[in-house]
Amino acid sequence: MRKKLLLLQAFFKKEFILFRRYFHNSIGGMITLYIIFLLMVGGFQGMRALTGLGGDTLEGLVVGYVLWLFMLTTYQDVWYTLRSEAQEGTLEQLYMSAHGFGWVIGAKVAAGFFTNLIMVAVLLAAALLTTGVTVNLDLLSLLPLVIGTLLGSAGIGFAIGGITLVLKRIDSYTQMVQFLLIALVAAPAGRVVWMRFLPCSYGSALINRVMVGGQNLTQIGLGNVAALFLVGLGHLLAGYAVYKACERKAMIQGTLGHY
Amino acid sequence: MIKVESLEKIYPGRKGQAAVKAVDRISFEVQEGELLGFLGPNGAGKTTTVKMLCGLIRPNSGRIFINGIDLIQRRIAALQEVSAVLEGNRNIYWRLTAQENLEFFAAIRGLKPSGISSDIDYYLELFNLTEKRNVEARKLSRGMQQKLAIAVALISQSKVVLLDEPTLGLDVQASYEIRQLLKGNVKEQGRTVILTTHDMNVVQDTCQRVIIVNEGRIAANDSVDNLMDLFKVKVYRINVQGGLTAEQREALLGMEEAVIEEETSARTSISVRLEESQVLYRVIGILESGQSLIESIDQEQNNFERVFLQILEGGPQGA
Repeated sequence: MRKKLLLLQAFFKKEFILFRRYFHNSIGGMITLYIIFLLMVGGFQGMRALTGLGGDTLEGLVVGYVLWLFMLTTYQDVWYTLRSEAQEGTLEQLYMSAHGFGWVIGAKVAAGFFTNLIMVAVLLAAALLTTGVTVNLDLLSLLPLVIGTLLGSAGIGFAIGGITLVLKRIDSYTQMVQFLLIALVAAPAGRVVWMRFLPCSYGSALINRVMVGGQNLTQIGLGNVAALFLVGLGHLLAGYAVYKACERKAMIQGTLGHY
Repeated sequence: MIKVESLEKIYPGRKGQAAVKAVDRISFEVQEGELLGFLGPNGAGKTTTVKMLCGLIRPNSGRIFINGIDLIQRRIAALQEVSAVLEGNRNIYWRLTAQENLEFFAAIRGLKPSGISSDIDYYLELFNLTEKRNVEARKLSRGMQQKLAIAVALISQSKVVLLDEPTLGLDVQASYEIRQLLKGNVKEQGRTVILTTHDMNVVQDTCQRVIIVNEGRIAANDSVDNLMDLFKVKVYRINVQGGLTAEQREALLGMEEAVIEEETSARTSISVRLEESQVLYRVIGILESGQSLIESIDQEQNNFERVFLQILEGGPQGA
């Protein structure tokens, strides 16, 4: 366990160092995301008509956008890590870790979660200040729902990361996933039961009930939260299974560290 | 320390191409504290073998034991004892400093940064990187990056270190420094090192034993000294003034042991492989018959590059 904590600590430190060292780049990225948000708010009516994102209210748009961002960064933490480590030549070193690669990527995602949390919190604050809307920020209720939701996007990240290990250079296709994530956030899983089995969709609906509807975890019900986690874990395990199958193929082909 | 039994790797054919047998049932052992050169031409199966030893490529059949642990059955346990430099200067994070790289990779290998701070100082000092400890790796020269990649492999305190082309692309000075570091560190810490390289100077300078692979099979497995003795052939280079007569040229071309290396109107150079003493007298006789003036007769040094090439060409038997 001590070694696992060391691993987590190492990734936290690396994330922090790179954030601090490339501070202007990090801030630049956040400003870009904020500008995108402003454009979305500007074209709110059009966006709503086009995608249904966020339901009927500006509050819904803010929540949908921020949740999409969180899902996107979590997905990228898995997929982009695999891609960039292979590209930089360090993936094979991580595979030779004393912990096993599953733990390594898990630590990377956990460290990334907190970095992403800070970024999302700043953007949420900026979004709320800009639009003047208010949302219910019941953190105790939101935290488990957010984690349950992000399990699905991590699962997608593993699946796409695994496919990247085998096929290589599929960036143009992987970019499409961000649009898939918009669709998953916007899916009306609260009303349409089968959509609750889609990755992230049910979590998005439950988070909307807290942030926009003003409900808390008790009102949502433990059964719904448990269902969210079961579906999320299912997607995570399915994504990981795809990843392991692809990893095995890459090891047979001898292309694990190639990009 | 390392035992390889009947290791075989066949890459599946892609896009209608035939499958490629990269490693063909090779077996060998490496003792603790040994520095082994693993050599062969491009495509001979060196990197595939090294990556199988790292658990990064799955063999079709055969077994690998690291310190008695079956690598294929117990990958993570076996890899506790293995570190590697596989991509030269690409094995490090370019946006982290030298010290941060060492700390990060030590933690990845399960070592607490505070517990190895003296080791970090030691390796930075050993590799002449102390002054660059806070410099991002991307700003270091290629030689320094390569040294840092090796330091990262060594900091893990693993008993086995695999180095794939550690001096590739380096200038003479940097290559020499890395050779000295390897020799010193292996001797001092008793590590087991497998080194692949195309640089025969590195082999001659650092390795106790070499395995030469060709087309996936082991062509030679012996100590550097034994191979040098086995392929010991005296070669003389005879330089004469001016060119040769047609008769001289014809006579020399008829001798297997003599090769006209260079012929101009000013100078002719002939190399003679001396397998029996009469050969040299016969060549001198041919030169004398045409009244050629001999400028010099030099004995050429036998080197490992020549030995390597002869093994790949298939001689002498039993290497």
